[in-house]
Amino acid sequence: MTRVRVTAPRSVTAGSVTAGSATPDSPALTGGRSAAASREAEEESDAGQLFVRSLIRSQLRLGLVVALGFLLIMFAFPLMLGLVPGLADSTIAGLPFDWVLLGAGIYPVIGLSAWLYVRTAARNEARYRDLAGDK
Amino acid sequence: MNPVVGVAAFAAVSLATAVIGFYGLRVSRTTGDFYVASRTVKPWWNASAIGGEYLSAASFLGVAGLILLSGTDALWYPVGYTAGYLMLLLFVAAPLRRSGAYTIPDFTEARLDSRAVRRVTSLVVVLVGWLYIVPQLHGAALAIRITTGLPAWVGPVAVVAVVCITVVAGGMRSITFVQAFQYWLKLTAVAVPVVFMLLVLGGGTSPAEAAPAVNPTALAPSGPYQVISLLVALLFGTLGLPHVLVRFYTNPDGQSARRTTLIVLGLLSVFYLFPTAYGMIGRAYAPDLAQSGPADALVLLLPGRLVGGAAGDLLSALVVAGAFAAFLSTTSGLVVSLAGVISQDVFGGSVRGFRLAALISALVPLGIASMTESLALAGSVGLVFAFTASTICPVLLLGIWWRGLTDAGAIAGMATGGVLCGSAMVAGSVLGAAQTPSWLGQPAAWTVPAAFAVTILVSRATRGRVPRTMTRLMTRLHTPERPLATER
Repeated sequence: MTRVRVTAPRSVTAGSVTAGSATPDSPALTGGRSAAASREAEEESDAGQLFVRSLIRSQLRLGLVVALGFLLIMFAFPLMLGLVPGLADSTIAGLPFDWVLLGAGIYPVIGLSAWLYVRTAARNEARYRDLAGDK
Repeated sequence: MNPVVGVAAFAAVSLATAVIGFYGLRVSRTTGDFYVASRTVKPWWNASAIGGEYLSAASFLGVAGLILLSGTDALWYPVGYTAGYLMLLLFVAAPLRRSGAYTIPDFTEARLDSRAVRRVTSLVVVLVGWLYIVPQLHGAALAIRITTGLPAWVGPVAVVAVVCITVVAGGMRSITFVQAFQYWLKLTAVAVPVVFMLLVLGGGTSPAEAAPAVNPTALAPSGPYQVISLLVALLFGTLGLPHVLVRFYTNPDGQSARRTTLIVLGLLSVFYLFPTAYGMIGRAYAPDLAQSGPADALVLLLPGRLVGGAAGDLLSALVVAGAFAAFLSTTSGLVVSLAGVISQDVFGGSVRGFRLAALISALVPLGIASMTESLALAGSVGLVFAFTASTICPVLLLGIWWRGLTDAGAIAGMATGGVLCGSAMVAGSVLGAAQTPSWLGQPAAWTVPAAFAVTILVSRATRGRVPRTMTRLMTRLHTPERPLATER
């Protein structure tokens, strides 16, 4: 799984303002400190929303890619056992191979997928912060 | 088994739970403390607590029992329980934390700006919680009967009593410490006997009665439909479990919610190696336990069988303690989250209301459990996952990722999924396990897509009802918190 490359300019052209969100909500409704309010106003402007939409799209794409990759590997395990003759009957250190593969082998795949996701998701957010001018 | 062992183990776990609960009492003062421990729990503590809460009777007893019964087919259960957390991490963890809501109904109400959606979600959450507590109490009944010889009802009543005392006295803060302690207790309780059993078996004094691949029952192997439907239920069901979700609010921000989930995945992966080992050793050395009732007691009985004498009694006491930790932690986690929902909707969110709601949340499933028969634990919990996946999961996923969701779509989707999956569960229990066709016995593969489809179609048809607050809420869900926001 490579990192998801969604750069802001591409999304700006791809996701031009659509849908029912064209009228930003009034920031006054949120209350709170004025700094927070002005930041929310900034986020809800058309330009701010483009960055937000681009962030949401890249996070969703990242989640889907990792989930699909994991599911493919997971379903490859039983397929492999069914298709490769003799594999299901072989043993590792005296334990049946199919038990080891399904009972222990999937967990490292889950952990690796999760670790990749956490790293890339944080990177997507860091990129959003840079773009949105949020230090 | 020596009956004193079971009673002593249960008493010790209950006492430890109560002591840690009361220790936590000193630091919980406000209503906020009671609900979410002020959102300042460290990732390691929180991850241990999530693990402690998630590893229920189904994980501790049921998985090994099912592996004994159906071999490699049952290995999909622990894999699905763990992979469900991966899905939670990918699609739910950080946005849900950033929503700032306490409970799932809070989230759906804020996202869809609708009191009606809140009420329907609350109803579903309470239903799911009760359905999930019942197998825990069945597990407690089984454990008490097998290990002490006392009447089965003593187990559920004792579990509910201990849970009520801790929750009513301490709230969520102490629950976090109790749950974290119980994860490590459960891991120790399940792991240490495996080490001793392997040492004994490695000595080669007792020959295996059968190879693990030999099927001790006449059960037919499950086909691809059953495996896929089960995985749909477990992968999507975890997303919507109320006691799992409420834990994420105790993280300080979205990033730490992700880190916590990553640690949880590691903790779960390590844990599930051991029930798998019990199932495998059980197939080789105790195939006579392979009948649906006693199979769930495999984890409790195996150490005493393979390691005799005083050492065997000590190991048995340890697994019994771990089993009760499982019943107590999952039940108390569910009771806390249900009490949060009920008290906010019915009692206006006061601490007193929370306590009353906790009693209601624990006593109703006790009534249900005393009137129903225990099925295979992992199987009945699997059905609860199917129900959650068909009701809460579509609303949660679409609410987080799709701007077009409307209140009408959410209600229609939850109703469709709930009615379809609920009818399948009722039909399955009326027909009995042997007579139920596989599409009814594992309904998730068609009820989950149906619920998603109805939610999307109805939302499309009512697109004028997309709430005006949607843009601001989507922004809040997905953008990282600033340093400023932490002082909230």
